[in-house]
Amino acid sequence: MSLLPFAHALAARQDLPVPAWLFAWGASIVLIVSFFALSVGWRAPRFEGDRWRPLGAGLSRALLGLPAQIACGLVGVSLLGLAIYAGLRGTEAPDRNFALTFLYVTAWLGFPLFSVFFGDVFRPFNPWRAIGRVVGSGFTALAGQPPSHLRYPERLGRWPAAIGLIAVVWLEIVYGSSGGVAVGLSPQPVAVAALLYSGYTLAMMALFGVERWCRTGEVFSVYFGMFGQLGCFGVEDGRFGVRRPFSAATRWATVPGSAAVVIASIATTSFDGASEGAFKGALESTFNRLVDAGFGLTSALRLTDTIFIALCFAGVAFVYLVGVRGMASVPGAPPLKKLWAGFSHTLIPIAFAYLVAHYFSLFVFQEQAQFTYLLSDPLGTGTTDLFGTASAGIDFRLLSANTIWYVQVGALVAGHVIGLTLAHDRAVAYWKDYRQAARSQYWMLAVMVAFTCFGMYLLSVANG
Amino acid sequence: MNQIKRAALLLFVLAAVSALTACGSSDDSDNTSTGANTSGKGATTGGGGSESATTTIVIHNGEPVGGVQELEYGAGEQVRFRVRSDVADEIHVHGYDLMKDVSAGGSVSFSFPAELEGIFEVELEGLGEQIAELRVNP
Repeated sequence: MSLLPFAHALAARQDLPVPAWLFAWGASIVLIVSFFALSVGWRAPRFEGDRWRPLGAGLSRALLGLPAQIACGLVGVSLLGLAIYAGLRGTEAPDRNFALTFLYVTAWLGFPLFSVFFGDVFRPFNPWRAIGRVVGSGFTALAGQPPSHLRYPERLGRWPAAIGLIAVVWLEIVYGSSGGVAVGLSPQPVAVAALLYSGYTLAMMALFGVERWCRTGEVFSVYFGMFGQLGCFGVEDGRFGVRRPFSAATRWATVPGSAAVVIASIATTSFDGASEGAFKGALESTFNRLVDAGFGLTSALRLTDTIFIALCFAGVAFVYLVGVRGMASVPGAPPLKKLWAGFSHTLIPIAFAYLVAHYFSLFVFQEQAQFTYLLSDPLGTGTTDLFGTASAGIDFRLLSANTIWYVQVGALVAGHVIGLTLAHDRAVAYWKDYRQAARSQYWMLAVMVAFTCFGMYLLSVANG
Repeated sequence: MNQIKRAALLLFVLAAVSALTACGSSDDSDNTSTGANTSGKGATTGGGGSESATTTIVIHNGEPVGGVQELEYGAGEQVRFRVRSDVADEIHVHGYDLMKDVSAGGSVSFSFPAELEGIFEVELEGLGEQIAELRVNP
């Protein structure tokens, strides 16, 4: 008997496994492209220094001026408020309640998607930043001086965000799969978690300052911002401008704990994909052992999943460490610590590719719900129909299984190529001798090929 | 020396990839073999036992006998199955969004064209219990 229920409360439909022939083609293309990419004469760094140039001053004013800031902040705060309200007051059916789809699909998957192309689009809509800034200016107006803050411990870096990122996913796929029946996460605990997180975030902002906490501690700012480093628009000195795509990422990992954020992203997505395929047998046997050891069904299930998320994190970190250690063995290499941080941004495209491969179809299908019945009837009570779309449904014919497979494999191949290019670029910046730089990159090649093939392997045994 | 190291690494990468590919392909042949006999995999097979045999999912104490049943079809084929239950509930085929009530001790049959590709849950809506997994391959 299958005791492990569907991890996703929302998914009425799951993807079919990628067929073996497509898997083999994908892996072959990855190999061929890799060796070609490494052999081309890319001898000088092209992404270091992002060649940012400002766009028109009018555009800057329109996008970054006070009216735009207030409008975006209001949108962010009211959507968060609506999600929490719907979660607390609305139906318990996860798929009929605005809260789950909005928080875990529209925002959690939508912001990485838009950030990758356009830059950090979350920042203006960040509801906690908006509230924090209003409170901060209120304080300044009343007290006649800006609030004083504690010094943020530099060594902590982005670790709070990395741990928070795992916690957000844990809430969805570990806590949510409790109960032993195919129900999954219900809206109420998500709303409560959002309230708790809001309290925690505002407290941290009060302690360390709004912008300071957003830069390294606030989970969503850091996570979405990480993908935003790949995008081609950016703000510098209060002006809106355009930059070379991927280039901003080269300066992203200067803060401690950055590598942990991108590793956590790859690890949690892998776990989610593997739990219904590659790891299914191992999960079930661990679960049974824990039940035999006297754990209750729910706690055994949660403990099993938690152990495997930790293992995924350790596994991804280990593969990266092998690559970094390998690079360190090449003459002329900078110290290990610098390599570890200095190449971590090259994993961002891989993390994004994993997201696309695993969640692309869920996003496309669930957004139909988001913009029809969930918008018209956010509480899911069947009594409101704000926009006349409350009775609409999801058209699952929108994407065929073939389209989904091509997007999945295409994303993994593209992510691999971009990651490899960024790594090569970083290597020619770190090693004075071009040949040594190229030699060091055989190690990163092994890392990238491993991640890409692991990702494709997960897809090929998905939902088996 | 360097050349040897590089060649060894190359070989390692190639070996790793081919191992993974082999994994994938063996898994696929597994799938196709299970695919061929899924219609017989149901708890009880009603009717004459020919190709048009309808799988019957038996619900005992609100749970599917023999665990979650697998139903596998190619796109465009006619999905046919019957649910016999000792509890009254509503049967919900997710994705296709088909619902039918079943009374305690009664049975209900489904027949619809497999026009959506993917993996879908079939559940007892009231109990929230998954009873079958419907797979529609392209």
